[in-house]
Amino acid sequence: MTQPTTLADATQLAQDIEHHLNQVLIGQQQVVREVLIALVSGGHVLIEGVPGLGKTLLVRSLGKVLELDFNRIQFTPDLMPTDVTGHAMYDQKSEQFRIRRGPAFTQLLLADEINRAPAKTQAALLEVMQERQITIEGKAFTLNEPYMVLATQNPLDQEGTYPLPEAELDRFLFKVLIDYPDHADETRLVNMVLDGTIRASLDVESLSPVTDAAGLKAMKALSDSVLIDDEVLDYALRIVRATRDFSGLSHGASPRASIALARASRVQALFEGRDFVTPDDVQQVARPVLRHRIQLSADAEIEGQTPETALGRLLEQVEAPKQ
Amino acid sequence: MELEKASARLAPRSPWQAVDLGTKLYRQWAAPVLWVWLAFTLAPFGLLLGWSLLAETLWPLFLFWWLKPLWERPLLAWYSHALFAETLTLKQLFQRWRHYALPGLASQLTWRRFSPARSFNTCVWQLEGAKEEQLSQRLRALNSYPSNRAGIMTIVVLHLEQFMAMGLMVLLYTLVPWQFSLEWSDWFYDQGALQMAIASATLYLVMFVTEPLYVACGFALYLNKRTWLEGWDLQLGLTRLGRHRATRSGATVLMLLALMLLPLPEPATAQPAPRNEEQQEVIELLASPDYMPFEERTERQWKDRDEDSNSWLEEFWKHFFDNLDDDEQPESSSQPFDIPDAVLWILFWALFAGLVIWLLTKVMNQLGLGSQRRDHSPVIPTHVAGMDIRRHSLPKNLRQAVENALAANDIRLALSLMLRSALASLLRRYPVALAAGSTEQQCLRNLKAAHGEPLPILYLQRLIQAWISTAWAHRPVDADAVRSLLTHWEEIRAEEAADA
Repeated sequence: MTQPTTLADATQLAQDIEHHLNQVLIGQQQVVREVLIALVSGGHVLIEGVPGLGKTLLVRSLGKVLELDFNRIQFTPDLMPTDVTGHAMYDQKSEQFRIRRGPAFTQLLLADEINRAPAKTQAALLEVMQERQITIEGKAFTLNEPYMVLATQNPLDQEGTYPLPEAELDRFLFKVLIDYPDHADETRLVNMVLDGTIRASLDVESLSPVTDAAGLKAMKALSDSVLIDDEVLDYALRIVRATRDFSGLSHGASPRASIALARASRVQALFEGRDFVTPDDVQQVARPVLRHRIQLSADAEIEGQTPETALGRLLEQVEAPKQ
Repeated sequence: MELEKASARLAPRSPWQAVDLGTKLYRQWAAPVLWVWLAFTLAPFGLLLGWSLLAETLWPLFLFWWLKPLWERPLLAWYSHALFAETLTLKQLFQRWRHYALPGLASQLTWRRFSPARSFNTCVWQLEGAKEEQLSQRLRALNSYPSNRAGIMTIVVLHLEQFMAMGLMVLLYTLVPWQFSLEWSDWFYDQGALQMAIASATLYLVMFVTEPLYVACGFALYLNKRTWLEGWDLQLGLTRLGRHRATRSGATVLMLLALMLLPLPEPATAQPAPRNEEQQEVIELLASPDYMPFEERTERQWKDRDEDSNSWLEEFWKHFFDNLDDDEQPESSSQPFDIPDAVLWILFWALFAGLVIWLLTKVMNQLGLGSQRRDHSPVIPTHVAGMDIRRHSLPKNLRQAVENALAANDIRLALSLMLRSALASLLRRYPVALAAGSTEQQCLRNLKAAHGEPLPILYLQRLIQAWISTAWAHRPVDADAVRSLLTHWEEIRAEEAADA
């Protein structure tokens, strides 16, 4: 299996993975890129989009291409925390408590429609996402690396949902918006299904692994060596700090967002084949890093603003790095 | 006008009691006046709405709203006859339209369109038919103290109209099936044909309810004012007395007259009937010139209020208006605000005209009909990627400054100077829209998108590559490459100068 040793290798590998995923998930290049950046950065992703856009397909393809374990949990209002993490059960034969591991014991966890479960079930993921471990009956189990939670939520049909708490939202590195493919891509997709190039179920069996956990680990290590100039780092921090007192925002992003922005910028530079970060890399990842970490003020909402428009204004106003 | 035929009791009332009477009139004759309203407005509204939808403009609907004084005339004609026991048919209203609708209409549709006392003044024009020279005198007399409150009543009805329209729109919004996923903003601000038709129909429906009420209240205020000024209640009382004179003794008549003119005592403190001497005293008192003397006062006068309640603002206005009135007072010069009446009126009308023009401009701009010419040429930025590119911030001798930086082995500074200089020059020649947050690569992308790839922009691309390598990748280009770039830039400038 391919394991990169240089930055050029890592870039090539990243592009190979992107290419494979884009063959299955047609017309979602930006989504694929952002999910991969989050994966290499060691973060989690919250994907928001209407049903039928291939969110589950993306995660399954990712598991296949990277040879990672994959589990899916459909979040429902009656889901219990132990249904996610696992629990201890009494074994009558051995007369001992036995740990039954939940679906969170995996490498890629798809938390489908995460906002349909109540807050206590959502909170079961807090430890998993931050510490990458699960504690059952006082015993901590460390999860295998890489570990990534991909949670999805539907922007429509909000009835009977439980909005994610800020603490949980902050633990997602990116919030990725998945939208309908454009006309040309959708035509290509339908044609491919009709002529049998891909099956209607869009199964991922045809995909072959490109790398594995070790390859990803090597990519992550290489991304850590990407140079980020002090001015560029300062620019990233100024963007995050600007969210805290920007007109139209009632809550800004935390320092965790600053770390996320710098880390994701490095991976973005790596994906672009550079060993240094430019201000453009920072701008490129600023929206997915910040859009779920800011809260619009009431008057901005009344004016019809969205987090996207507010971030657009903010990025226009924060001065790019000085000489 | 035969007062004894009035179907409402004509008695002096407070303005609000008069408005209550107007409400009562409206409730009493709601069905016929609503038919009158529909008969005169439905067809014009339908035509104007159709025009509005076809032409996709709001002007026809605005015209309908503007013509409100015209639509109110038939309502007033109907009320004024109905009160005195004469019910006009729609046919009669149409036949007499020219007589009751035209007096004073031109002024009401132009400079008096925003008169807050419209409902009251319309009665003077329409019912009294006074000539223009008598009219202002008549209006002054009718609008004299005590105030008839017609202006406040207009404001109240205006709010009622707005709240009802808004409430109806909200109600309709709640009835839209959720599958349409209709946003509030789309419902209220979208100017699609359907929304325009719904909003217009809503406004018409509200006016259908409020306009007859408004006219009735204005008419009642008018009746009340005339009752106060002309003693209609006394006239009615005397008429009734006259009818009974033949059968009643003179003493009884006088006693009744006295009782009618004097305030009625409370039942609990009722007095015994007055004796003959007392009746004589009453008659003499009523006949004397000291009883309820009429006087005409033209100066403004402030009410006496508690000293403690006088704020500085009240004091200011008091001085202000006192000075206006006291032209002949020599001590007025010692007071701080000495403004003649004419100046105050000019100021008031100037402010009013300014306000109207401002409102019209806003409305026209909102409707996209403004004549303002927008300059779409991009503004040349002063900073790009945080770099100051204003001319005065750049070195006068670029080569010298770059050589100095190179001598100090500061490649980054040298490139920075060149980049600033190049951007300052290029953005003037090839203007593009840029924000403070635009990076150097965004600047390049925008320049290429807007102006293609002429030589100066291709040069900028090379320069930016050198800058990125030096500044962000920490791999400074060598001094010779910087000099080569500088020479190239000087050649470009020389060519530009030659072309110019």
